[in-house]
Amino acid sequence: MSRRNSELAFLALAAVISTMAYVSVFAGRYHEIRRASIVYGLIFVAVFLVLHLVVRFVLPQADPCLLPITALLSAMGLTEIYRIRPALALLQGQWLLVGAGLFILTVLIVRDHQRLDRYRYVIGALGLGLLLVTMVVGTEVNGARLWLRFGGFSIQPSEFAKIAIVIFMAGYLNDKKELLSMPTKRFLGLGFPAPKYFGPLVLMWVLTLVMLVFVKDFGMSLLFFAVFLAMLYMATSRIAYVMTGAALFVVAGAAASQYVAHVHERFLIWVDPWSRAATSGYQLLQSLFTIADGGMLGAGLGRGYLLFPNHQPIVPDLPTDFIFAALANELGLLGAVALILCFLLFCWRGFRIAMWAPDGFSKLLAAGLSVTFGLQAFIIIAGVTRLIPLTGITLPFVSYGGSSIVANLVMVALLLMISHRAAVVRGGSLRERHELAKLG
Amino acid sequence: MNRAISRMFLVGVVLFAALVANLTWIQVFHAKALFDKPQNQRRIAEDMKIKRGRILAFDGTTIAGSVRRSGYYYRTYPSGSLAPHIVGYESVRLGLTGIEVTMDDYLTGRAGGLGVQPFIDRLLGRRPTGADVKLTIVPEVQRAAQAALVGKTGAIVALDPLTGAVIASASAPTYNLGDVEDRWRRLRSDPSAPLLDRATQGLYPPGSSLKVVTAAAGLDTGKVTPTTVFNDTGTYVIYGGKVTNYHGEVFGTNTFTQALTSSINTTFGKVGDLVGRAGLVGYMQHFGFWAVPPIEQPAGSVLASGRYDGGTLLSPDAKMDPLAVAWAAVGQEKVLATPLQMALVAAGVANGGRVMKPFLVQQVISPSGKVVKQTSPALWQTAMSPATAATLNTMMQQVVNAPGGTGTAAALPGVKVAGKTGTAERGTTNMAWFIAFAPADAPRVAVAVAVENTLSTGGEEAAPLAAQVLKVALAQAQLP
Repeated sequence: MSRRNSELAFLALAAVISTMAYVSVFAGRYHEIRRASIVYGLIFVAVFLVLHLVVRFVLPQADPCLLPITALLSAMGLTEIYRIRPALALLQGQWLLVGAGLFILTVLIVRDHQRLDRYRYVIGALGLGLLLVTMVVGTEVNGARLWLRFGGFSIQPSEFAKIAIVIFMAGYLNDKKELLSMPTKRFLGLGFPAPKYFGPLVLMWVLTLVMLVFVKDFGMSLLFFAVFLAMLYMATSRIAYVMTGAALFVVAGAAASQYVAHVHERFLIWVDPWSRAATSGYQLLQSLFTIADGGMLGAGLGRGYLLFPNHQPIVPDLPTDFIFAALANELGLLGAVALILCFLLFCWRGFRIAMWAPDGFSKLLAAGLSVTFGLQAFIIIAGVTRLIPLTGITLPFVSYGGSSIVANLVMVALLLMISHRAAVVRGGSLRERHELAKLG
Repeated sequence: MNRAISRMFLVGVVLFAALVANLTWIQVFHAKALFDKPQNQRRIAEDMKIKRGRILAFDGTTIAGSVRRSGYYYRTYPSGSLAPHIVGYESVRLGLTGIEVTMDDYLTGRAGGLGVQPFIDRLLGRRPTGADVKLTIVPEVQRAAQAALVGKTGAIVALDPLTGAVIASASAPTYNLGDVEDRWRRLRSDPSAPLLDRATQGLYPPGSSLKVVTAAAGLDTGKVTPTTVFNDTGTYVIYGGKVTNYHGEVFGTNTFTQALTSSINTTFGKVGDLVGRAGLVGYMQHFGFWAVPPIEQPAGSVLASGRYDGGTLLSPDAKMDPLAVAWAAVGQEKVLATPLQMALVAAGVANGGRVMKPFLVQQVISPSGKVVKQTSPALWQTAMSPATAATLNTMMQQVVNAPGGTGTAAALPGVKVAGKTGTAERGTTNMAWFIAFAPADAPRVAVAVAVENTLSTGGEEAAPLAAQVLKVALAQAQLP
């Protein structure tokens, strides 16, 4: 079966699962299936069918798994958002349409992602500019300044900045990787490059700190710095960078948790939410209660106890930062683990694309995007389950959030482009190459 | 580069495995412990699946009912918002207050002694039905008290002096039982504190209304009689300080009865000196000061009256100099009292010196209609001898009936009313008090009215409100 036919088959599977989810929510909510819901479902299927056709004609050799996983995750997200607040789901659906549009534009305009390498400084500056603009004129929500407001709607520029910065770093690190990986000294059994090559690392560290202090966004600064470290490691294979970077981050994190009030509070909540149960710890505790209530199999979609009698969610920010708690409640451990596996599967496909990409820039770009995606999912899931201090970022494709879903769809478009080009350059399908590699 | 990339993927696998392990701990091994946490509202939500018992008024009208909507029972308030501070609200989000929490075990059918039905229900795994709780609140009197306070800040408490049953307890500003959840933020942040029950938690300087206690001390110890003569020059100099009259009035020669009628501070300062610190504080304790009135309200929502310093109740044995005793005898100094306590003072005089234990719950009725719990009246404190009480009763009638009495606004046609005014200065405004009982010769109702932030006196502001409530209460055929 060709890649595109596999993709179509996977998409059909995703559609079946999504439809079952929708039906369950509607049955739980209204005790009947409404015609309108089926219309929404059909529109959703149509959107992904269009994306599939675009990929079929423009990127026929692209990876067949990414689009179906994307469809499944967004369907689960939309369903759960609908279940919590129907009005939000309609907005999210519109953002999905915008995202699909941007996906198609990216595929048609960029065509070949290698052209991005040429404009890496422009793109990097653009990403940095987006972040700076937010610092200066951003609107503060929940103590963090990450929103730009335009009339009726607001966007979160850091979601787009992260893609721009990954593109820039892939280009930059690919260029400088030989230079940066030259070991000159040995210390603690590790080869350390000359001090001057730690420049980019320190620069990135300072940038992250500035972001942390002025944008007060612990989640995004953690994500940026970790992604940079991961890409630096993949470009140079030097553990020394990772160690130094991790040490720098721990220092910065410890300082921030002492001196930046917003971060300090988040840290205290993580250490002891119980003594703050009625105030700042309320949200995290209710999240834990909500997740625990799901048990092994969950209450069933649309049947969990998520809302107060007046339809306000028990856990504040349930459709955005805490969407995972809602899904874990209604799908249980089994469903929640399946969701986590979807994210892992996405990352696996991304890393596979990176391994098979023929050139350094493509490798770093694909791996960087995959790390961004996986780490973002990890940070928020670990946050709402109290594995790490909570930082508000979106769960890719699942959380309510227009900027997030649009940016992540652009990211999928880039990954598909890289995989298509890899397959074309190598001639023949990935599977054929894989078999060859095993023999050879 | 590929080795580094695949290593990076392995790191990712480890991180995601940690997520799964943590999730398994939360959802499987730790789930029960998390469900049982008191902070978990799911427990209250679980209770909302029980058909909660009704809260009834004394005449059987439903104050709080229960209606089923999509699997959960919700409170309805068919009589409007009657005695909201007493009844309390029930909310998954906000928890329980008032009678809803103190009688929760009965209302949810969990308490013992409700017959065999709840036991059988539990054995069969069915949810029990809650028992009804009938209060001593009389709807007409309660409504009159709530209506009297509209637009004011304060409280009114009405008691049956013979039994201690609370027939009305109103606090203003108030809130609506039906929309607490929707208006929660506003109610919580409202500077006028509508959620506060001023009847049981409002600590106010009692001013001259405390003279009833001082008089009881003077008369009961034999230091004074109603006809003891005093001379008032407008100031009573004691211990390097002085006690003065309200608005600097001078009354000249007066009997003790006249001193109560006209509320002469200097005379009561002298009586305070005669009975001394131990005498005054001792009689305050005999009326219930320094003890928490044992009504069926959650701990902390009924406060003890007494001498306070910076929000803490001072020991009754705390030292006081003679000037402090003289000012305390006229209800100033550090003395603070709740409207409930002052209603108990009036009730004590009305009931021959016997202060009955105040109560709110008349009976508990099982789902099958059987009375499973009935409150019988009990003595709480003995304030003074019956003879002293009779004398004081006569003196208090003068306050309302004598020409020039401070409480004439509380007079009712055809009924003898006994009372005492109080006007305590708090900053730039007054605290207006009136405590009363009627009919004076065969008391059925005792009442205390307290109004904050007024420019009028107790006689002008509080006495008419007391008359309104007394009138409605006396018109009732039956009281608890």
